[in-house]
Formats: sequence, structure tokens, C-alpha cells
Amino acid sequence: MNFVAKNKLLFFFISFVAVGVICQFALNSYIQALVVSFMINAIMALSLNFITGVANQFSLGQAGFMALGAYTSAVLTKVFLADQWYFIPLTALAGAVVATVAGYLVALPSFKLRGDYLAIVTMGFAEIVRVLFLNWNFVGGPRGYNGVVKWPEFLISYGFTGLALFLTFMVLYHLKISWFGRNLWALNEDEIAAEVMGTPIAKNKRFAFLFSAFFAGLGGALYGHHLGYFSPASFGFLMSVQILIFAVLGGLGSMSGSILAAGILTALPEILRSLPTGGLDIRMIVFPILLILLMILRPQGLLGRKELF
Amino acid sequence: MATKIKVEHLSIHYGNIKAVKGISFEFTRGQITTLIGANGAGKTSSLKCIAGLLPAKTGKIILDKDNVHIEITKMTPADRLRCKIALCPEGRGVFPNLTVLDNLMVGAYLNKDHKKILELVEQQYELFPKLAERRNQLAGTLSGGEQQMLAIGRALMSEPEFLMLDEPSLGLAPVIVEQIFDKFVLLKKQGLGLLVVEQNASLALEVSDYAYVLETGTMTLNGTGEALLKDSRVQEAYLS
Ligand SMILES: Nc1ncnc2c1ncn2[C@@H]1O[C@H](COP(=O)(O)OP(=O)(O)O)[C@@H](O)[C@H]1O
Ligand SMILES: [Mg+2]
Repeated sequence: MNFVAKNKLLFFFISFVAVGVICQFALNSYIQALVVSFMINAIMALSLNFITGVANQFSLGQAGFMALGAYTSAVLTKVFLADQWYFIPLTALAGAVVATVAGYLVALPSFKLRGDYLAIVTMGFAEIVRVLFLNWNFVGGPRGYNGVVKWPEFLISYGFTGLALFLTFMVLYHLKISWFGRNLWALNEDEIAAEVMGTPIAKNKRFAFLFSAFFAGLGGALYGHHLGYFSPASFGFLMSVQILIFAVLGGLGSMSGSILAAGILTALPEILRSLPTGGLDIRMIVFPILLILLMILRPQGLLGRKELF
Repeated sequence: MATKIKVEHLSIHYGNIKAVKGISFEFTRGQITTLIGANGAGKTSSLKCIAGLLPAKTGKIILDKDNVHIEITKMTPADRLRCKIALCPEGRGVFPNLTVLDNLMVGAYLNKDHKKILELVEQQYELFPKLAERRNQLAGTLSGGEQQMLAIGRALMSEPEFLMLDEPSLGLAPVIVEQIFDKFVLLKKQGLGLLVVEQNASLALEVSDYAYVLETGTMTLNGTGEALLKDSRVQEAYLS
């Protein structure tokens, strides 16, 4: 059991501040926005990696929890809190809680069954959430939710999103290496044996799922306040798949891998965008090919189950 | 009075498939009982059912403690473990990406006394010194024999009074099988009740006090290990 050591934390903190300062003074707002996007993607990837990588429960509904977090936080700030940005940390937390409650409702029936039913249930769940918002005119329906309060400054956005990412990582990483995580690994690897040992497999899966929903909701809330606008289409099936790609590429079970993959996959499309292509959008060809190559060469993802430190 | 598990008229169905058709047998603490049968006879289904992983279609499973009968037929797997009945599953089922030590720790899941757990770990290391050498190695990197030892050690971490073993010799070299069966005899002398399921029966019958033969879901023969070893039908079908 190796907790993240103090000196490593200090190192991370100093690098974090340094990157923030560089972004603020040396780089344009486009790059600044990308950095925040990366951190949100990392939160989403981590949230999925815990349930799918550690507990081996294939979930395809992260976008649904994300939407719940985004809409909850946006509505709360707009309707009750006069669009004051400093309430965002609180409303984002509320968004995460709403997503957790929804996660509980999804988890109740899902884990009575074995096998890949969860993928179907969660996919259906995300679709229901999307259609609900699509038909709710108060939040813009299909036109989307406009004028969501944004962070006033890059450094504030960077700081709070970074803090959220840090918390997500620390909680999920320490859960992974904990006694609870060991039981999740056990059921991941041999469900029958884990059950024979008396571990409550349904309860453990449910519990892991709640954490996953919570952090997906948190990521969704931050997503909304980062962009200032989103619509039900933002939280479609493609979003769930994209999050899954982050987690798989980084390595299912590797928390630092998820962050690494989120970084690469946030930057890569932008780098490809700048390639000289003579009008052809080569990005959408190169990008999938790179992914396919990577999965052939390293099917366990970049880091497998290991951590970077 | 002896403590034993009594299985009465047990049937197990998978949908329309009748895997086990009303069998009765028992196994006792301080004895080795063997269940032999060909592939598909229903051995694994029976053990899973006793461990609570499969429901019984009909029949009862009873824990008979000094003539106090506790029916366990409807209990959860965890509750059966609390009744001191453990299963070492078919194909070993070790957790390959957990270390040897962590595998053992998961085996003690129901025990909340950390000091006691460490004591139990030491006991398993004593029983299987190979495991002690490899305590921090991932279980998936162990040899087949070592994995079987780990699976047995892990099952023993719940301090069972009854241990069911599903084909513990499967795929192992004869020398290793003999070593493992020696440990069974040792465990039996310490008061454990073992139910050993095997296809290849000679060694199992040699060490067993009592044995049953299961054929396509029905019990066809039973007797002391010695008697069954001499039985011509057993010799023909299971000892060749
Ligand atoms: N999950 C299952 N679904 C349907 N039939 C099964 C299942 N598991 C086992 N069976 C059937 O039940 C019978 C007994 O199987 P099993 O208990 O595994 O036998 P053994 O362990 O003696 O080889 C076999 O005919 C097998 O095909
Ligand atoms: Mg079998």
C-alpha cells in the first residue's frame, strides 16, 4: 500500500502552478481552454476507469451522469444564485450528488444480474436522461442551455478544475489500493471465487458505481461552466464512447493512465488539425488509425494496470 | 458426536437440464470423503450448490452439529462461510493480478480481526512454505501446483470446519498431487472435514474414509475408500 508520497505531491503542486502561470502569461486563450478541457476529460476518464477498470463493470452511461451534473449545476447557479461564479464549487458538488442519486437508482436493479447487462442498462439510462433534457423547454430543450455562468478568469477556472481533478484522482486512487479496492480486483478477476470468499459482490459493485457516478457528475458540472453552453446532443452516446476510449487507451485499472490518455487525446486532434492537408479534414482519418494501431500494439492500454509513480 | 454436512435428495437444474437428480450423501469432520464421477456427472454443480452459488431445485442441505440440525439450503454464500463451510473452486480461481498475500487476505474477508488474519496467513505459509517464498508475487505467475496450494490456503483463511475441493489434482504432475493429498491427510487429522471431488480416483480413494460415485446426476455406488478401490466397476471406469 503506497500512498502518494508528500514530496511527490509537492512536486505535482509546483508543476501545476508553473503550468498555470505559463498558460496565463505565455499562451493564448485557445490553449488555456484546451488545458481546462483536458482536466475535465481526465475527471471523466477516471470516473469510468474506476467502475470499468477496477471493478470490471462495463458502463456506457457516463454521459448521462455528466449531463445530470452539468444541468443541475447550471440551473442552480442561474435560477437560485444570480449567476455568481463563486457558487460554482457548491453547485458542482450538488450536480455530483444528483448524479450519485441517479447512479443509485441505476445500480439497484443492475447488479442483481451478472454479465454485460450493465452496459445495456447504463446506455439506456444515458439515453433517457438525454431525451428528458431534450424535452425540457426550461433548459432550452434541443436548442441547448445558453448563458451558463462561466469562470471569470483562466487562472480561477484552472485552479478549481485542477482541484477537482486532484480530488477525483486521490479518492479513486486510494480506493483502488485500499482493502475495498482489493475486493473489487478480486471480483474483477474471478467473480465466483470472490463470492465463495464471502465478499458481497453486488454491494461492492454498487458502491463502486456510486463513486463513478459522483465524479462523472462533477466532471459534467465543470464541463458546463467551462463552455458556458451545452445541449442534450453534447451528452450523446458518442460522449460515453469518447470517455471509454480515454480509459481504455490509458489502461483499464490505471488511474494515472487515464490522466495521461486524456492529455494525449485532448491534444492530438488539435495537433492534427494544424497539419497541412490541402482542405481535406485528414484529422478524422489519422486519429482513428492511430487509435487502432495503439490498440493492436498495446491492447492493455498505455500503462496496463500500473501507475506512473 | 460428530459434526457433519448431510445432503438429502438434492436436485439441481439448469433450465431444462437436470444436472443432479435427487442425490443424498454426507461428509464428516475429521474425515476425507470423496465424490468421484466422470466429466459432466454433476460434481461441480453439487459443490456449488452446497456453497450457495447455485439454488437447489429440491432437497435439503443440513449442517448437523451434535444432532442440532441447521438447514443451510437457502443461505447466502457468505452465511455458509460463517457456518464454516468453504469451497476451493474448480480450476483454482486464484486472482491472477493480486499478490499471493492479497489472495489470502481476500480469503479472510469475513474476519475483521486484523491480528488474527495475519496469524492465519502465517498458518498457510507454514502449511505451504512455497507460498511464503512467493508472498509478494502475483498469483498469475505461480506454477499450477503453487496456484492450487494458494487456492487451498485461501479457502482455509476462513477457518472452515468443512472444506470442499473441486478437482484439486486437475492438470498437476503426480508428485505435486501427492504432496497436496498429504496435506489433506494432515488437515483431516487437525479435525477438518474434507469433501474431495475427483475424476481420477485412485489417489483420492486411497486417502479417503468414505466415497461416493456419481453418474449423470445419480449416486450409483458408495462405500469406504478401500472397498471402492477393490470394486470391479470402479476399477474399470475410474482407475484405468
Ligand atoms: N451453466 C450451465 N448451464 C447449463 N448446463 C450446465 C451448466 N453447468 C453445467 N451444466 C450441465 O450440468 C451437468 C453437470 O455439470 P457439472 O456439475 O459441471 O459436472 P462435473 O463437475 O461432474 O463435470 C453437465 O451435463 C453440464 O453440461
Ligand atoms: Mg466439474
